[in-house]
Amino acid sequence: MIEDLIRGSLDHCVKCTICETHCPVSRATPLFPGPKYVGPQAERFRSGDVSPDDSLDYCSGCGICTQVCPQGVKVAEINSRARRTLKESRGIPLRDKIISRPTLSARLATPVAPVANWSLRNKLIRAAVEKTIGVHRRAPMPKFAGRTFQSWARKHDAPRLDRSVVYFHGCSTNFFEPDLGAKTVAVLEHNGFNVIAPRGQGCCGLPLQSNGLFDDATGYVERLVAKLAPYAREGYDIVATSTSCGLMLKREAYEILGMESDDLRVVSERMYDICEFLLDLQERGELETDLSPVPMKVPYHVPCQQRGHEMGKPAVDLFRLIPELQVVDTQRACCGIAGTYGLKKEKYDIAMEVGRHLFEDVTRMEPEVSVCDSETCRWQIEHGTRIRSVHPIELLHRSYEL
Amino acid sequence: MKSVQTEVLVIGGGATGAGVAWDVATRGFDTVLVERKDLGEGTTGRFHGLLHSGGRYAVKDKLAAEECIHENLVLRRVAANTIENTGGYFVTTPWDDPAFGDRFMEGCRDCGIPVEEIAPPDAFRAEPRINRDISRVFTVPDAAIDAWKLVWDCAKSTKEHNGKILTYHRVLDILRTGDVVRGASVRNELSGEEFDVHADVTINATGAWAGKVADMAGCPGVQVLAGKGIMIAMNHRLVNVVVNRCTMPADGDILVPIRTVSVIGTTDIRIKDPDEPDVTQAEVEQMLDDGEKLVPGFRRARALRVWAGVRPLFKDVRAPETSDTRDVSRSHALLDHEARDGVTGFLTITGGKLTTFRMMAEETVDKMCEQLGTRRECRTSIDPLPASRTGKFYWLGERLSKREATMHEDQLICECELIQRRNLERVMKQRSSTILDDIRRAVRLGMGPCQGGFCMYRATGILHDVERIDSWTANRSLRDFLQERWKGVQPILYGDQLRQARLDDWIFHGVLDVEHLPTDRLEDRAEREHP
Amino acid sequence: MRDVLVMGMGTSGLVAALRCQEAGLKVTLLAKGVGSTHLAPGTIDVLGYDPELVENPSEALPRFADRNPEHPYARIGADVVARSLEWFSERFDGYRYTGSVDENFLLPTAIGSIKPSTLVPETLAAGDLRKGGRLLFVGLRQLKDFYPALTAQNVANAKTPSGADISARAVQIEPPISGEADVTGLALARKFDDPGFLDAVATQISALVDGDEAVGLPAVLGLRRPREVWEGLQEALGRPVFEIPGLPPSVPGVRLHEILVAQFESAGGRVVVGAEAVGADTEGDRVTAVRVAAAARIKPFVARHFVLATGGFGSGAIEMTSSWKVRENVFDLPVMGVPADGQRFSPRYFDRQPMGRAGIRIDDSLHPLDGSGRRLYANLTVVGACIAGSEAWREKSGEGISLSSGYKAATTVIEEAM
Repeated sequence: MIEDLIRGSLDHCVKCTICETHCPVSRATPLFPGPKYVGPQAERFRSGDVSPDDSLDYCSGCGICTQVCPQGVKVAEINSRARRTLKESRGIPLRDKIISRPTLSARLATPVAPVANWSLRNKLIRAAVEKTIGVHRRAPMPKFAGRTFQSWARKHDAPRLDRSVVYFHGCSTNFFEPDLGAKTVAVLEHNGFNVIAPRGQGCCGLPLQSNGLFDDATGYVERLVAKLAPYAREGYDIVATSTSCGLMLKREAYEILGMESDDLRVVSERMYDICEFLLDLQERGELETDLSPVPMKVPYHVPCQQRGHEMGKPAVDLFRLIPELQVVDTQRACCGIAGTYGLKKEKYDIAMEVGRHLFEDVTRMEPEVSVCDSETCRWQIEHGTRIRSVHPIELLHRSYEL
Repeated sequence: MKSVQTEVLVIGGGATGAGVAWDVATRGFDTVLVERKDLGEGTTGRFHGLLHSGGRYAVKDKLAAEECIHENLVLRRVAANTIENTGGYFVTTPWDDPAFGDRFMEGCRDCGIPVEEIAPPDAFRAEPRINRDISRVFTVPDAAIDAWKLVWDCAKSTKEHNGKILTYHRVLDILRTGDVVRGASVRNELSGEEFDVHADVTINATGAWAGKVADMAGCPGVQVLAGKGIMIAMNHRLVNVVVNRCTMPADGDILVPIRTVSVIGTTDIRIKDPDEPDVTQAEVEQMLDDGEKLVPGFRRARALRVWAGVRPLFKDVRAPETSDTRDVSRSHALLDHEARDGVTGFLTITGGKLTTFRMMAEETVDKMCEQLGTRRECRTSIDPLPASRTGKFYWLGERLSKREATMHEDQLICECELIQRRNLERVMKQRSSTILDDIRRAVRLGMGPCQGGFCMYRATGILHDVERIDSWTANRSLRDFLQERWKGVQPILYGDQLRQARLDDWIFHGVLDVEHLPTDRLEDRAEREHP
Repeated sequence: MRDVLVMGMGTSGLVAALRCQEAGLKVTLLAKGVGSTHLAPGTIDVLGYDPELVENPSEALPRFADRNPEHPYARIGADVVARSLEWFSERFDGYRYTGSVDENFLLPTAIGSIKPSTLVPETLAAGDLRKGGRLLFVGLRQLKDFYPALTAQNVANAKTPSGADISARAVQIEPPISGEADVTGLALARKFDDPGFLDAVATQISALVDGDEAVGLPAVLGLRRPREVWEGLQEALGRPVFEIPGLPPSVPGVRLHEILVAQFESAGGRVVVGAEAVGADTEGDRVTAVRVAAAARIKPFVARHFVLATGGFGSGAIEMTSSWKVRENVFDLPVMGVPADGQRFSPRYFDRQPMGRAGIRIDDSLHPLDGSGRRLYANLTVVGACIAGSEAWREKSGEGISLSSGYKAATTVIEEAM
């Protein structure tokens, strides 16, 4: 029962405050009183649909608190569920309803990508958007690719291989980074996997969830897992390049949305982050190791949502296999964006302050690219550093010389 | 020797005594209340926090039920600020006879208790944790009431009407001239000063201790049975309505959401000495098993603290000997010692329950007026208590929402119960007590999950600054508090609370080394006296 | 192939993992969350009370171990304790530790008692009261975790073995932090990393010092560059400055944690945080894998050697249920020394608490034992707070046991692996 699993976990809190020592947001702004405060502490003062504390909304939902808690308190999940009550009791702004539906806007924009991209980079339009709906004028916006990964995949001439894996590419790969999808397919094919990319993969609902729109998010998850579940039932593993969307299906749909369904269960049991999947191959001795030198020094940032997979830093372990590649783990907590958090007018500055040390570290290294597993984080890091940021797959792809 | 003159002396600072003082003072009498410890320190502060609708007695004891619903409605008006309007369920669990529900409905209706049967699924939606095998659910206007706020508000009203509240004043003897009681000699337990309080009327409102005080007045044979009940506070609100078993009153059949916790109660065991109620492992086990019946998973949930209260049950000497104190009347007893013992100027009020404390006080003061040959109208059902003048009920989010407003201007000292520094300092000055346990009851300091692990060091430092006490006194306050807290947590140290206790050990021993704080001669003496 | 899986990242786990990794083994450090380093004062307290004050741990330890044959130190050995302290000190440069196993510092706590500690961050050492001294305690208005007046009075009343004169007084300053009344120790430490903030604080304090007083502040003097902050303040005030550790989260503890984790990772160690070890696969007297709860699945972590550093009752590594049953949660190791019903705790808080000593029994190479003293697993060692036999917080031995057992487990693993 979700009440036991999440609210019940506050019973484990011994007030040790370790979560607060790791919170990237409370460090950056006094407006957020910290994860212990708004989580296990404030939760004891909440009941029903009354929401006594607005400061909760400054939680970015990065989830680090849950990961570092030595007692097993689901701090971030308590906060996410409380935020839903808060949003429902205060009314959800139009802005949040728009930015939490990336597929909708992306479908509309893709055919007219040049115009859409121009508008998103036009200062006057952005100022107007900030004023009318509250998306910060400088907030990072990805570029519409103008074509989709799915359209590429349909034309892709796949080799015939013995084993297959399902690719859950998510919206961002489909609309904004179709190249990442193509490279992922290449890396997997190189390792002997036939890649199935089921069509009609919708949004995983994560942005809706983080904006408190639980019912809508639940609907999105249900539709998505209905598409993926048949493959999982047939015994195919599913890999995700969008680490946060993968986590949504692995864990957050249960622990934040409170969902329980057979489709979800079979999908989450088969869901792997791409780096996790490749590292597992490596540990079984099944990963192709014909890796050529990549003589670069690059900074790597572990995105918060990737930590939520509770699997260490598989990208770092994979990079160790690439000759001459020097990867510097920045050890910074968070880039600040947290999905849609840093887009919001009232939170943009906080998000930039959260990411400041990371941006400084990256900039100081003057690398060709920086590396990060999560797309919204890459856009934020690019925004904060003016240096291109890539998914770890890009480096593997380069090293395999595909 | 100093002496104090008053019209009415009230002995006992529980709800009954505070209620009597409130009533007496608001009728315009000069009033002095003496209490040997702190207000609400005894039975009053050691109950589960239930403001009865009367449902619990609707089948067994109609009179008690009628009193409860009457007072429930009055207190909602005059003491709103101490009440959270939670509502209550009576539920038929698999261990209860479903047919009892019909008798229950009938009983409630007879007594004027608003009752309604609802479909169990509706109850499960509202209260997702309760046992899904519950077959019937009835709603009644039960509520949660904060007894400490209540007694302190009665005291405040008493003071507003020029009454005096003397805490830490122990009655040494009752002053009697011939057949007339003329007050009491008392000792200030903190300063050691002894003096007499001369009064026209002395009212003995000492609950389970009433027999001892009546003996002092030379009115023997007042038998008050001490019925021990243990209660366990669980870490958070497992339920948000009061949940009662729909059955004849028994042990472990009530779960009350009060403030940030839920309290399971209670047992009923007759004990000899009301001063030393201990908690046994068997009693704890019993409460946990009973909790499990209402809320599955109860044993895995975190228990914060356990305590024992001693309810006073006046025994009719003509009734047969019984060991189950629950069978003795729950209704209160007002003893007119003029009629009973030929002693004037002395009344004893005992028994009853917190829900009916105001009514007990009214009856007592009516009787007093009758004896004095004067008629003054009771005000306590009409004029709200000072903190309740807005008529607003307490709500769970109150402190969180207050903290929200002052987050950047004030420090949070007790993080579990959200007590801010300015409020704590104000209360310390008001109470002028160096006993941290008194401050605890006043603001619920250290009553949350960590049981003072983090805030008690802070509170000691603040007490030292605010009260300008020396470090010996501050150290002693902290150590006394730690001992007092240990009493309450030690019997329920398992699961999460054992983890907390271990962290608290690290804080008080490993980081602060409280054990090796310098001690003064006073403390050495105390060690010798109470090894 | 992974050589070693260390479970738990408190001091004992960090030390075992770092030492094995430095020895060339491939180590994964797995933790349910960040460990007890953040809760402890950051000092290594080897043995403070036995039950009288211990002035020289190396002298006291052999006797102590003789008299307490079930104590972890009796298994670890005084010589290993000494070696582990040396090894530990060598891991810190810049922000250094000072002290030796031959003496205990007597340092003021945040309430003003005097606590014996063996190896301490250099930034704490000037608070040592063995030879008495004149101290000024400085409170920071925005920090609710330090009360200098009470601390000073208690310190002034303290009695040390030498009977040396101690005088102490207190002042309160208000560092320049706009608009915030409630600032945590860690937030202050981050502010102290900023030289401008340090200068402002130094100016305020220098107006208040008198004579040859040493200046004590809560332990918040910098997080990333504590040594520079501490030295900068000493220089600005022209007198010794010392830090006083307080309530969790402990800034010196966070420093220790970050330094050891960074060393472990840069030596090539793998850290997995947020994943809890929930069970194990065994074959005879060998552990083959530990089952780990990660998002969506339980994963087996295969290794040749396993180190159990999950903590004791405080972390939930050993749990007591509401039916008073006790269980170690990864290997279901037998928990020894659990008192019978009614005897778990003394009703008096400051008494010895029998339950405190319950834990896992180990042999001299830290392998777990069953009730009859038989070694249970040949490739599993047990370190830190889960070892039976100590009441560490009373003895002031917790970090000493953690460090020396982590060090010794690494010795066992390295010997068996090579």
